[in-house]
Amino acid sequence: MSASSRPIQPGIVGWLTHLVSSALNLPGAYRRELERRRGRTLAMTILAVFAMAYPVLNRLYFQPFSRNVFPLPFPEDAVVTFMMIFGIMAIGLNIVAGFAGLLDLGYVAFYAFGAYTAAFLASPHFGSVSVVLFSNTIQGFPGIHFPFWMLVPLAMITAATFGVLLGAPTLRLRGDYLAIVTLGFGEIVPVVFKNLAAVNFDFGPIHLVNANLTGGNLGINPIDAPHFFGIKFGSSSGIAAVYLGMILLVGAILTARNLERSRMGRAWIAIREDEVAAEMMGINTVRTKLLAFGLGASFAGVAGVFQASYQGLTTSDFFTFATSILVLIMVILGGIGNIWGVLVGALVLVFVDKTFLPWLGLRFTEISPDLPNPSQFNFLIFGVLLVAMMRFRPEGFIPSRQRAAELHHAPPGQAIGAAATMGDAAIAGEEAVEELAAEQEAIATADEAAEVIDIEGPPGDAPGRAGT
Amino acid sequence: MEQILQTIIIGLSNGLIFALVALGYTLVYGIIELINFAHGDLFMLGSFIAFVLISSVFVITADTPLTLMVAQIALIIAITMIATAAINLSIERVAYKPLRNAPKLAPLISAIGMSFVLQNIALLIFGPANKSVNAILPSVNILSAVGITGVTISAEQVFVAIVTIPLLIALTWFVNKTRQGRAMRATAQDPDTAGLMGVNVDRTIAITFLIGGALAGAAGVVQILYNNTSVWNLGFRFGLNAFTSAVLGGIGNLQGAVLGALVLGLINAFSDRYLAANWTNAIVFAVLIGILVFKPTGLLGQQLADRA
Repeated sequence: MSASSRPIQPGIVGWLTHLVSSALNLPGAYRRELERRRGRTLAMTILAVFAMAYPVLNRLYFQPFSRNVFPLPFPEDAVVTFMMIFGIMAIGLNIVAGFAGLLDLGYVAFYAFGAYTAAFLASPHFGSVSVVLFSNTIQGFPGIHFPFWMLVPLAMITAATFGVLLGAPTLRLRGDYLAIVTLGFGEIVPVVFKNLAAVNFDFGPIHLVNANLTGGNLGINPIDAPHFFGIKFGSSSGIAAVYLGMILLVGAILTARNLERSRMGRAWIAIREDEVAAEMMGINTVRTKLLAFGLGASFAGVAGVFQASYQGLTTSDFFTFATSILVLIMVILGGIGNIWGVLVGALVLVFVDKTFLPWLGLRFTEISPDLPNPSQFNFLIFGVLLVAMMRFRPEGFIPSRQRAAELHHAPPGQAIGAAATMGDAAIAGEEAVEELAAEQEAIATADEAAEVIDIEGPPGDAPGRAGT
Repeated sequence: MEQILQTIIIGLSNGLIFALVALGYTLVYGIIELINFAHGDLFMLGSFIAFVLISSVFVITADTPLTLMVAQIALIIAITMIATAAINLSIERVAYKPLRNAPKLAPLISAIGMSFVLQNIALLIFGPANKSVNAILPSVNILSAVGITGVTISAEQVFVAIVTIPLLIALTWFVNKTRQGRAMRATAQDPDTAGLMGVNVDRTIAITFLIGGALAGAAGVVQILYNNTSVWNLGFRFGLNAFTSAVLGGIGNLQGAVLGALVLGLINAFSDRYLAANWTNAIVFAVLIGILVFKPTGLLGQQLADRA
């Protein structure tokens, strides 16, 4: 047994110790995994290596090929960066909507909080002061200039705080009311950012006369590009930014995976499946849902900070209802509740939206200039997709088996319409068996996972021990 | 004083249009507990159908003789109502009916998808710019005829009331007095039991969607004759205003929806006039969130059994 098999100590220190010891044990864990499931592990390794090499290959071979030899829709570096940004968002929304089952239609608000954190704390916008932290190169510049690595946690805290502030009074609401409340919140936040361009405020020590806090319609720019060791990672630096995004995305994936397998993650899933039962089992449902809301929001904060720093500008127009829905479609298309599913959903959807449809539009114009441009009607396609997914495959293309079983088996009391016939009853029975099988599989997976990452715990009780 | 009266008149006429759309939300929510997200966009389609009828089919201008104009407008309202009712029924068939037994959030997500579909269909056909019709109703101040000056009630505002109020009365009569109305109320209370009592639940739900769609169509006609303009994304904000009205009055409650709409119309008008128009949307959403958090049953209370 290795060092990491000790129970994880609570708190930041314990978490860091655990992180370091797991990192040290990675080669061993990889070897064991290779012995256990050779084909799968090899395939995953190849995929990971390809993903890491893709930005370079894309720049060196794919894009020149598309330009010079034959037009194929290979994404630009900026699009690949946006894949990373939306990947982080989709993984964050998946925590709220997928794990905890809370439909958030205003997720874009937290993205906005992240972006404006960067805009306020790393731009010359507040030019009357000069605060420059940890940087020799821009010493003495007007405005506030925090380094990127400080903005990320600050944005996470800001977004999570607002998530909790929104969630605290509203999480007791029923699912559809909660959806509408979050939608309203998501609409208010950009309006606030848009309108705080000429603020008059005079109270106590604060005197604002026509103060432009948020830049209004024009937004705030330029925002400092992320820079480490003198290297910039902004939109002008091409694949460097892609790799920074990739690092953030991998961080998001690892965090979400660990959260899912934690005591809290099991509590989220328990609440999603049956809130009353979960409460009976001793889960503090309000606190658990609040944590899902806050943690989910913090992912959008990271995405927002990266978007603003990467593009160097932010305006309230970026944060529309359509963006919230776009992230929701990524989650639903990929497979709600499954991290890998929603990640693929995000990558594919950004690709389709920003590269494939414009490419298709160009091909259409080559045929005839009168043909409609499909990239103008992206949301027609996405809308049809949403309706079709809900009808034919609500669990998404790469589903979480547990979630799929839930979605095909409505809880009693929700069914309306004619009384259940014998046939319905038989189908319900079959579904119940399927669901049981899926749950058993989930238990088995959890045990396997526990073995792989050497977390102590008696076998077989993984979902059952959910609680706070 | 005159300013306040004027603001109240504007608020009430806006509120009456909200009411027609809000009733569609409240009817559908009352009966299948679905926030029919696409309803606002159906209203938008209604106003575009009316736009086409006014500008291309009937070619009404301000010079058209009054009796002919009344007949044509009545015909436009009827055609639009039938069209939107049919569209709403098809939406129900395609997007909601197959999801009757699915978890509750599935039809909501499907409705959001449908909303985007309708918006983009309008975008595809009519383009991204505002579409306007010439004002065809005479620009007169009705009040000046009885010797009041300073406050105006325009012909448009009278028209809004003439179309809206009879529809509201007819709907109340239908729901409360007819056999089908009773079936609707029974289904709203408990669809399973209603089914066992011989109510054809599927048909009742379909009729609810037909009525809601027809009201949205009427609201669309009123909208384009009142504001003389329409645009593809009109339905989103307008729909949320109407939904807020329904929630404000107590969702599932018909009188509540009308009251909520009038109150919300006033809130809109007063915010536009006395605060700032660019904060109005934020205020409406704040009202929505506040009502849902502090008094989810609304002003007049919900009239449906809580089946959540």
